[in-house]
Amino acid sequence: MVTQRSLFNLLPEQSLHNRSLPAESNARSRQSARWGLTVSMILLALFAVDAAAERQAPDPYRVAQQIDGHGSKDSKEKTTGGSAADAAFLNRVWLDLVGSRPRETEVEAFCRNRAADKRQRVVDRLLDDERFGLHWGGYWRDVILARRADERALRLVADGLVDAFASRLNRGDGWDEVARSFITASGDVREHGETGLFLAQKGEPENITAEISRIFLGMKIQCAQCHDHPTDEWKREQFHQLAAFFPRINVRPVRNVKPRSFEVVSRNKTGRGKKGKNRKRIEHYMPDLANPESPGQITKPVFFLTGHSLELGTKDQTRRQALAGWLTDAEENPWFATAYVNRIWTELTGEGFYDSVDDIGPGRDCRDPELLALLADHFVDSGYDTKWLLRTIMATAAYRSSDSTADAAVLSRPLRGDVVFDNLLQLFDVDKNNKRLEKQKRGARQRFQQTFFYDPSLPRDEVNPTIPQALLMMNGPQIHQLLRGDRRGTMLARLLDEESDDDTIIESLYLRSLGRVPTDTERATCRSYITKQNNRVAAYEDILWALINTAEFRHRY
Amino acid sequence: MKYPRRDFLRSLSTLAAASGMFTWRERLAVAAAGNRERRACILLWMAGGPSPYETFSPLEGHKNGGETKAISTSVPGIRIAEHFPHMAAQMHEVALIRSLTSKEGNHNRASFLLHTGYLPTPTVKYPALGAVVAAQRPQAKAALPNFVRIGSGGRLSVGGGLLGSEFDPFVHRNPENPPNNTQPSTGQVRYQRRLELLKELQEDQEIANDTKQIHQTVYGQASRMILSPEMKAFDLAEEKEPVRNAYGDSDFASGCLLARRLIEAGVTFVEVNCRGWDTHQDNFSKTRELAGEVDRPTAALIEDLKQRGLLDSTLVVWMGEFGRTPKINARGGRDHYPKVFTAALAGGGIRGGQTVGRMSQDGTAVAERPVTVPDLFQTYCHSLRLDAESESMSSLGRPIKVVEEGSVVEELF
Repeated sequence: MVTQRSLFNLLPEQSLHNRSLPAESNARSRQSARWGLTVSMILLALFAVDAAAERQAPDPYRVAQQIDGHGSKDSKEKTTGGSAADAAFLNRVWLDLVGSRPRETEVEAFCRNRAADKRQRVVDRLLDDERFGLHWGGYWRDVILARRADERALRLVADGLVDAFASRLNRGDGWDEVARSFITASGDVREHGETGLFLAQKGEPENITAEISRIFLGMKIQCAQCHDHPTDEWKREQFHQLAAFFPRINVRPVRNVKPRSFEVVSRNKTGRGKKGKNRKRIEHYMPDLANPESPGQITKPVFFLTGHSLELGTKDQTRRQALAGWLTDAEENPWFATAYVNRIWTELTGEGFYDSVDDIGPGRDCRDPELLALLADHFVDSGYDTKWLLRTIMATAAYRSSDSTADAAVLSRPLRGDVVFDNLLQLFDVDKNNKRLEKQKRGARQRFQQTFFYDPSLPRDEVNPTIPQALLMMNGPQIHQLLRGDRRGTMLARLLDEESDDDTIIESLYLRSLGRVPTDTERATCRSYITKQNNRVAAYEDILWALINTAEFRHRY
Repeated sequence: MKYPRRDFLRSLSTLAAASGMFTWRERLAVAAAGNRERRACILLWMAGGPSPYETFSPLEGHKNGGETKAISTSVPGIRIAEHFPHMAAQMHEVALIRSLTSKEGNHNRASFLLHTGYLPTPTVKYPALGAVVAAQRPQAKAALPNFVRIGSGGRLSVGGGLLGSEFDPFVHRNPENPPNNTQPSTGQVRYQRRLELLKELQEDQEIANDTKQIHQTVYGQASRMILSPEMKAFDLAEEKEPVRNAYGDSDFASGCLLARRLIEAGVTFVEVNCRGWDTHQDNFSKTRELAGEVDRPTAALIEDLKQRGLLDSTLVVWMGEFGRTPKINARGGRDHYPKVFTAALAGGGIRGGQTVGRMSQDGTAVAERPVTVPDLFQTYCHSLRLDAESESMSSLGRPIKVVEEGSVVEELF
């Protein structure tokens, strides 16, 4: 008792000296508990103190320093190994936060800026940009639609999903609120984008279960759907108990509306349909594998990570509200925060704590559990604040360093179709608000999204460029028209009109397409190419064509 | 039985040296005439897991068979589901394996298994059979990609794996039309000049070498393809009316016809996808509909290949990732059932008009001669003259064979 009291007395002062200490110990204590080690009395005391205290968002830059200082020698070497060049850093944050490359003037201003905190400032500014939410909304749209079981979801909810994420992320809603809104979603799928996950899975409880677990917990519990896996922690029963939160979700067509739509509603009463195959069930039944023609075993909702359960007969919204609450409760379920932190870290640094963002959990190898717990705990303290997490990771050496090619190999990530498309619009000065082009552009944008689509949850080395992508970039008729320098009003024609100095033009083309100035070698290659051609305009078309077809144009690195 | 492959060893070792990604164990090369002969494969992939009982292994006289009736075929004693009259007429060319068995009942994992011969692991990226064929039996002048996947394979992304992304399939979603953007944006001379400049500028970029190399390979494949005369293989409009009619009118039919054209043009592995076999409910009406889409073109493809003298060198495989529960569930459907399922094989040296293995009367188990997935892959290797023993290196430095274990289903040949 004495020890505990003195700790209580000590704490405020200690926090003044080193704010991060209690939280860090706390992180370690939870970590130990997680890995099944004994928890010491002192750590428990600290845990209690911390939980009692008002949760406060930790300073992202301090946490970033903690991360840099943590762990192995080689991560320290990275810290001292110098940061990415200004332009490279600028491109990275722009592509990561708002999904486009910085404009020519941005690059020049940033490189000239001598302020010590210019990197933090650009991150802050972009986090306030409304394109931030839209960009990450696009990311989550792809995460959800990549595993769609129903093709119609693509047409009906792609935009709605982006908006649902965008408004929440821009407003600064916690990730717990985002998860809650998706788990408890209902209404017309065209009006409520959060219902997109249910539509994409046709409202089928087993599919929804697999997706909720994968997206919000990073766990592949669906392998337990049919049988207990020898290598997996989760049992078949636990999968079906989670599915038992969703049997009353009903996805049905909306009557008498044009264009046609679907709605997610609760079905709390048994349908009137014929007995047998058309009769809709309002409880979940775990199929009897030996006896598939039997209805199976009625199963009540139990959340496998905390053991919380509900009775049979509970109403749909009550089930989903309860699950959302238990799933996002950090005190009882650390995996919700862990999964998100791991995913965002993987996306930003190129290398995650686990082999797959969709396959974490107690039975999986974690590269650095301590560091992950540290970051996850602070993230919980921030109120599940996505902007806080991005700010923090973007201040770490792991994010900023990119000097060695070995690192770049891990970091480079193909850009999403709509990012490639937006970069092309920006580079060619296509007016985004031109109404006449609007319809035409929509079709073109969809072609890019489709052609460049990849599942963002896959490990980087499983996402490779494809022949159709190369063909679109090399021969796409729209790109061909935009590239022309002999056609009035194109970007290149204007540039050639205004400038006569080759160096200036080459530099401008590099800044526009790759967000950086060319190196001396690149300058020389371009100049000698121009000299060899007798048609100067054509030579510039070729250079521009080559630039947008390089690997660098297509990647964030 | 081992087949020497001096040509492919040479080309592969160059490749291995260039990429540094894998090494091939040197093996004794014994000169034989067989190895120069062409071999190709068409995989007709029934995504979702087709019911054996509504396709090639009907259950006669048992309630598990449901409403599906059986019909006789061109081979006395072999009876198949009534929905396949055209295949029934081709049965003398077709061998049925009715005793395939595996343990994997999850779509993604089972699809991976039936495409690679291995279950997926996070550490080893196993290559698809199509990639192995592309690597071991490349075309002499590869203008078109060696491995083409037609139609949407759903979420399946298995491809070159550890062999490298140059063996990823070229995915062509809509067989009805040639691929998009294949018209070069400039004349040939200028196009080549642009490609040279692109290569030169890219070499100086800071981006990782691996990324650049893969990018360069794909651009090489894409530009070689569109600048070649073989591109016209993608144009189904060149086919005469009677041929098109023989295949029928559906996406899958167009896919089959295109597969034949691509094989003729030198492509070594074509996969044609047909989705929708995951019949958890209304199994009987759905399978009838799907069979109606698949039966005619599959039979036409076999006949067409035969008439063109390509059937002996082209293995045609019809299969999905698993079978379906013999007992009919409460929703009139059948659920996943990997314990016993059926594949149909033709061409590539396979002796048609026979069945291998047998399932129990109620369809719940293999009654005779179980055939495992590795057995099936050994059989593919035998038919396609692939070296099943050849090893490639995984990123962990563990050598991976084309097939581990299993043995050739000898009676098929």
